[in-house]
Amino acid sequence: MEKNPLEPRPLPPSLRANRVPVGSPLYNDMVEFMYDEAELFDTLRLRDWIAMVAKDIEYTVPLRHTRATRDQDKSVVRTVQHMYDDYRSIMLRVMRVMDTRSAWGEDPPSRTKHMVSNIRVYRTDKEDEFKVHSYLLMTRNRFDHDKFDLIPCERHDVIRKTESGYQLARREVIIDQAVLGTPNLGIFL
Amino acid sequence: MHQHAETTLRDGTTISDLINHETREVKVRALSDPELYELEMERIFAKTWIFLGHETEIPNKGDFVTRDMGSDAVIVARDRDNEIHVSLNVCPHRAMRVQTHDAGNTNVHMCIYHGWAFKPNGDFIGAPIEKECMHGKMTPKDQLGLKKARVALYGGLIFATWNIDGPSLEEFFGDAKYYFDTLFLRTKGGLEVLGPPQRFRINANWKTACEQSAADGFHTLTLHRWLGEVGPYAKKPDAEGKGADLSPEMYGSEVWTDHGHALRCIELDRKIVRLTGKDPAELTPAEKLTVLPPPGITPAMVPELLERFDDGQLKLMSWRPPQVGGFFPNGLFEFIYLPQPDGTIIGACALHAYIPKGPDKLEFMNWIFAEKDTPPELKARMLRQSVQMLGTSGMVEMEDSDTWPHQTEVAKGAMSKTITMKYQALFENGAPEGWPGPGHVGDGFTKDDTQWAWWKYWHELMTSEK
Repeated sequence: MEKNPLEPRPLPPSLRANRVPVGSPLYNDMVEFMYDEAELFDTLRLRDWIAMVAKDIEYTVPLRHTRATRDQDKSVVRTVQHMYDDYRSIMLRVMRVMDTRSAWGEDPPSRTKHMVSNIRVYRTDKEDEFKVHSYLLMTRNRFDHDKFDLIPCERHDVIRKTESGYQLARREVIIDQAVLGTPNLGIFL
Repeated sequence: MHQHAETTLRDGTTISDLINHETREVKVRALSDPELYELEMERIFAKTWIFLGHETEIPNKGDFVTRDMGSDAVIVARDRDNEIHVSLNVCPHRAMRVQTHDAGNTNVHMCIYHGWAFKPNGDFIGAPIEKECMHGKMTPKDQLGLKKARVALYGGLIFATWNIDGPSLEEFFGDAKYYFDTLFLRTKGGLEVLGPPQRFRINANWKTACEQSAADGFHTLTLHRWLGEVGPYAKKPDAEGKGADLSPEMYGSEVWTDHGHALRCIELDRKIVRLTGKDPAELTPAEKLTVLPPPGITPAMVPELLERFDDGQLKLMSWRPPQVGGFFPNGLFEFIYLPQPDGTIIGACALHAYIPKGPDKLEFMNWIFAEKDTPPELKARMLRQSVQMLGTSGMVEMEDSDTWPHQTEVAKGAMSKTITMKYQALFENGAPEGWPGPGHVGDGFTKDDTQWAWWKYWHELMTSEK
């Protein structure tokens, strides 16, 4: 069957046999990548983050559906999604926030914490690409609100080793909410 | 005819006290008041036609989705005869929500509490332990079904109302139908959803989103200014206008109706000139539609448009097509033409419903469409473009969703709730020469008449008993 042109590039499988041991140098590199990225997001250094992004990136956030236990494979929807970005649209998001004085949805910016945990690293069939599976709990606070928007999700990333360091080549973020409790995704997950 | 029934709120204010027809002002209080909210659910959402989705979301017999009509949950389901039904998602036994999934396929909707079972059309099938008659003997089986709404389909869009004997959907659309036809009835194949709707919650009163949907073009100049700074409308050095000034994009005609529907019909002439280098006045509608077809239509599909529409509608579609507007009370359509970096233009077709979830909360639903006959590659581009610009992560609409909570919050202030919102920028010149369509029409730069018509109809319904 022809690939549905609406669907993004699939991620490599998470094969336990391909797990990179916790604490190994490669694993530590991936953890540092995740932590550095979180810091760049939370300190609004989006241009520095762009340097960590591969030109062929696909960055997607599927929809969630509440479905019966037997239909859990249908609970992640990859036709219409919450985000569906490539390098060009990611650059436009960054330029919007950094190069204009009218990106009001993030001006003043949200105060965020990207808390990354449960990091698992897998080798793929490409020598220079690694799959990184992590949990992300993001807190988002705006204006004088006393409450935080919570965005609990898991990330399935492909991190590529290049001559200029590691780069994010593919990211799929699966959010736990069928109805998001935050007014937009004007931030990166 | 509506029966007038002036309701007095607890502090002695009447609903009519909130609106000044002479000066076209609305008290800010209307954007937060919980008492008004309760009345709105009864007098607007339980009375008018409500947009619930599209038939292509439930293509097969037994398919269903769960949706909301104002504060009421409903099941939208296709039965064995391919008919679509809308039923209250509340078990008549003990008021349990019958269907707890977002979507699925079943011929029996069974309440998990006591096992009462219903057909996709809402009819009661039976309750467990039939021999013991656990549904009782006092109410006959044919009265134990789910409460059924009246359903109407239009261009595949599913609308429903609890007003069983009220006006038809066509009557409710009124003069707006002429224009809606150019959006929703473009091809024999019709529109299709490209996936389920995005859904997210915003801490704002539903009316903040919906009165804006009634074709407010003014806010784009400031709230969406980035579009002209680095976005799709960023000016080339030789273009008209200055820097981030979006005002040239806001010319055209606006249409409003007595039922609060509104359309911003934005002029395409500048885009046609850019694409052809020719004076649009010298081109026929067919020629213009071929160089700049509506969203989801390719030049090869244009002959079908020429067959389906009359000269007036073709003129409209090639000159000032409706691009943004609302259907009362809580729908928004965006059939927009977005310039691309390579000089081409890609269309986007999206519908929103803003579901009231309390005086301080709304749910934003965003459906993305293309024509069924749109080639797959173009569909994929339209989808990506729509997701990037509209809805959850939409670079355009994230500004809107960040504005409405502020309006809702400040509307609670003892002083601020007494000041007024002003709808005083008037179209004073009527329809442009040669305007083909019906309704109230204004020519030129975007004005407030469309939104004022929205509030007028809100007031009419809020003060009507029947």
